Amino acid sequence: MSLANNELNLHALAELVDNAAHKAQAIAQLSAQGESLSLEQAYKVQDLSVARRISRGEKQVGIKMGFTSRAKMIQMGVEDMIWGPLTDQMFIEEGGEVSLERFIHPRVEPEIAFLLNKPLSGNVTLAEAMAAVEAVAPALEVIDSRYDNFKFSLEDVVADNCSSSGFTIGAWQAPDANLANLGMVMEFDGKAVQIGSSAAILGNPYRSLAAAARVAGEAGKTLPAGSIVLAGASTAAQAMTPNTHVRLVCEGLGVAEFNIK
Amino acid sequence: MTDLTKNIEQAAAQIRQAYASGQPAQPIRDLLPQDSIEAAYAVQKLNSDIWAEQGRRVVGVKAGLTSKSVQNQLGVDQPDFGLLYADTFVCDGDEVALDAVLQPKVEAEVALVLKADIDVANPTVVDVISAVDYALPAIEIVGSRIANWDISIVDTIADNASCGLFVLGCTPKKLTDLDLRLCGMVMERRGEQISSGAGQACLGNPLNAAVWLAKTFVENGTPLRKGDIILTGALGPMVQVAPGDTIEARISGLGSVNVSFAKEQA
Repeated sequence: MSLANNELNLHALAELVDNAAHKAQAIAQLSAQGESLSLEQAYKVQDLSVARRISRGEKQVGIKMGFTSRAKMIQMGVEDMIWGPLTDQMFIEEGGEVSLERFIHPRVEPEIAFLLNKPLSGNVTLAEAMAAVEAVAPALEVIDSRYDNFKFSLEDVVADNCSSSGFTIGAWQAPDANLANLGMVMEFDGKAVQIGSSAAILGNPYRSLAAAARVAGEAGKTLPAGSIVLAGASTAAQAMTPNTHVRLVCEGLGVAEFNIK
Repeated sequence: MTDLTKNIEQAAAQIRQAYASGQPAQPIRDLLPQDSIEAAYAVQKLNSDIWAEQGRRVVGVKAGLTSKSVQNQLGVDQPDFGLLYADTFVCDGDEVALDAVLQPKVEAEVALVLKADIDVANPTVVDVISAVDYALPAIEIVGSRIANWDISIVDTIADNASCGLFVLGCTPKKLTDLDLRLCGMVMERRGEQISSGAGQACLGNPLNAAVWLAKTFVENGTPLRKGDIILTGALGPMVQVAPGDTIEARISGLGSVNVSFAKEQA
């Protein structure tokens, strides 16, 4: 296949995954459709699909990290995290409502969010990463693979913007807490459905922030001041159900919540 | 002697034989009336009476089956208990012999130490909080005398709630300084994370497990006493261990506790 054709193909794939997200309609995995993308090409598809969102008027507000638990990496047979952009259209008002109609088969996971006060890119030390944090908050991320049955290869999920679909963020607070081992309880209608520790996020969520800077740098990008970084999930994801109040309670950081309609 | 009494004695003997021989026994559940928790505790009691006669000292109690997922797995809706013996205590950082526990697994827990008896009917969480002197981080090394951990609720209760050894950290903390529901827990094997969770995983709060134990022991006529150690239950999934493993558990607010397992047979 010539380079020109290849470029064309990546654009076509970006349109495919973007349409699936936009219309909330599942598609077959790209790998199952006979597309064998390299990881680099998968990120290119992701880039192109996000460009389509931007052209519709969405703004990028940050990035999310995925596969930030050792168990998940081993399960997926990968050695690095994945990442995808967050846009303002994905934002769910904290304490607000979100309609299931926006999604295909959404799941929600408990996370820690960072707000940057200076740009980050490339290989940074943990100290540099921490110094770039204006605030931290408990967060809920809605992931919604655009692929049938939530099944995908590593390249599939990267091309699909790492399943990112929605997020809500609790009250921001000064980053003076030790985040390495905070208990995190996600409740549906007041009942605990997932229980974990922030330690599941690479042993310490700040490591995920340093990794975010690294992967952005490797892609030739910078996380600008004002960016939100979702550091990764502390537990398995829970399938979203209609008419449900979802709340994360995080030790020392408080709550983040929304209602599913 | 009734058939049931005979069968209870046989089940108890089967478990003692597993300890003595180092060879796990077949499940004992078929010897007892189906799902009879009462008969299972009768087996446990028979063995604990024998061990008491042998001079083994009871230093506390443990709650088991305190997580919703494990309860669902075994089809029960309540925890169980077992007795802790002084000779099953392990110092923080010590190495455990390979044959010390049959089929060992580890779990991280909150341990509570009592400064007063809890000898009132239906103790409340206030009775428990008032009676607790301090909390410690703990690793429980559970084991099973039943082959391949093929256990029902009846098997594990009869087998002293799958007690093995217990390791206590040495950093006592007052309950007033802790949030035992939201405390994070992480357990590592040589630095690799193998389990994580939080206090909520133990019956919603480790203190709830302590209330259940206090109430149960009052009902059984053997109230928890000053100085007793309470192992409240796992804060995350339990993990199988192998020779040469070093395990560390850290509980937010409580500190850390370590244990290792010998590489080779002594």
